[in-house]
Amino acid sequence: MSPRRIAEEAVAKGIEMIAVTDHNSARMVDAVAGAATAAGLEFLFGMELQTREEVHLLAYFDEAAACHRFADAIYDLLPDRPNEPAYFGDQVVVDVDEEILGQEPRLLVNSLDLAFDEAVSLVREHGGLPVPAHVDREPYGLVAQLGFPPKSVAFDLAETISGTLPGGFGRAVAICSSDAHRPEEIGRRRTLFEMNEATTEEMILAAQRVGGRSVTCVAEGWRGK
Amino acid sequence: MKLADVIEALSLDTFTAPVEPNVEVAGGYVGDLLSHVLASAMPGDVWITIQNHANVVAVAQVAGLAAILIADGKRPGDEVRDQARSAGVVLLGSTESSFEVAGRLHGLLAAER
Repeated sequence: MSPRRIAEEAVAKGIEMIAVTDHNSARMVDAVAGAATAAGLEFLFGMELQTREEVHLLAYFDEAAACHRFADAIYDLLPDRPNEPAYFGDQVVVDVDEEILGQEPRLLVNSLDLAFDEAVSLVREHGGLPVPAHVDREPYGLVAQLGFPPKSVAFDLAETISGTLPGGFGRAVAICSSDAHRPEEIGRRRTLFEMNEATTEEMILAAQRVGGRSVTCVAEGWRGK
Repeated sequence: MKLADVIEALSLDTFTAPVEPNVEVAGGYVGDLLSHVLASAMPGDVWITIQNHANVVAVAQVAGLAAILIADGKRPGDEVRDQARSAGVVLLGSTESSFEVAGRLHGLLAAER
């Protein structure tokens, strides 16, 4: 999806904050950040990791530098298997003007050599916010892949398709996101954060309902305020 | 052993038929983690899995697998079948568990040697 198109869709659909969470890659974050900021959107950096157990984990960062440091740290954990565009599609990297900067040579649709709990720790070590993705969906959802949330890890937020968390997630609060792979999918699910700033720290405070902050999932069919 | 003979001997459902029914089955691989199968299965293997989503097709193509055998009575949806058909990937099914059908396939292939 083109960075400008992403930003346009988000604005058209009344969205105020977006994050980009490409699969095992952060090579597009700066281009989308540029387009988003120019369009007046709040922006969070991020990635969607695929762990060894094939669980999807979202990682959100407030700043580009931290996001890229994290992306570099995990790149060596991605098997050195080349992409095959005929089967998996191109892995094109573009800038904010959609000029092609290159292709990511390594197959991104693969699992990192990293266990789920290790991935969560690594995100936090890099100052990021780990959020398990679509936990109520198979495949690649935490419950489908691990059977149940592991006791050793706790989350403030967990992403769902349905807006409702399955059991076993402790204090975690459900969020919903578009998980858009096409522009028309942007905004199909969303979360309303009542918080002071578009930061991961505020998202955690909102999950904890500190100082009047809140998190509300909006399932499909959002029609505006 | 020829794929067509495996299908018959194991009474498998055929969701998408083999374009080349006489292709030799080299072996088998059991796995439900696609990234693991991608790294480990060998060309000509029959892949036994309970995964029935569209990504299995690309894995079978890239790894050169003889067929995908979806076990435990799981069935591929229309999108998966269409994708498999376009890609020439063979989609088979068994109501038996992965363990049972793998055991039987293993027995067939071992008897051949």
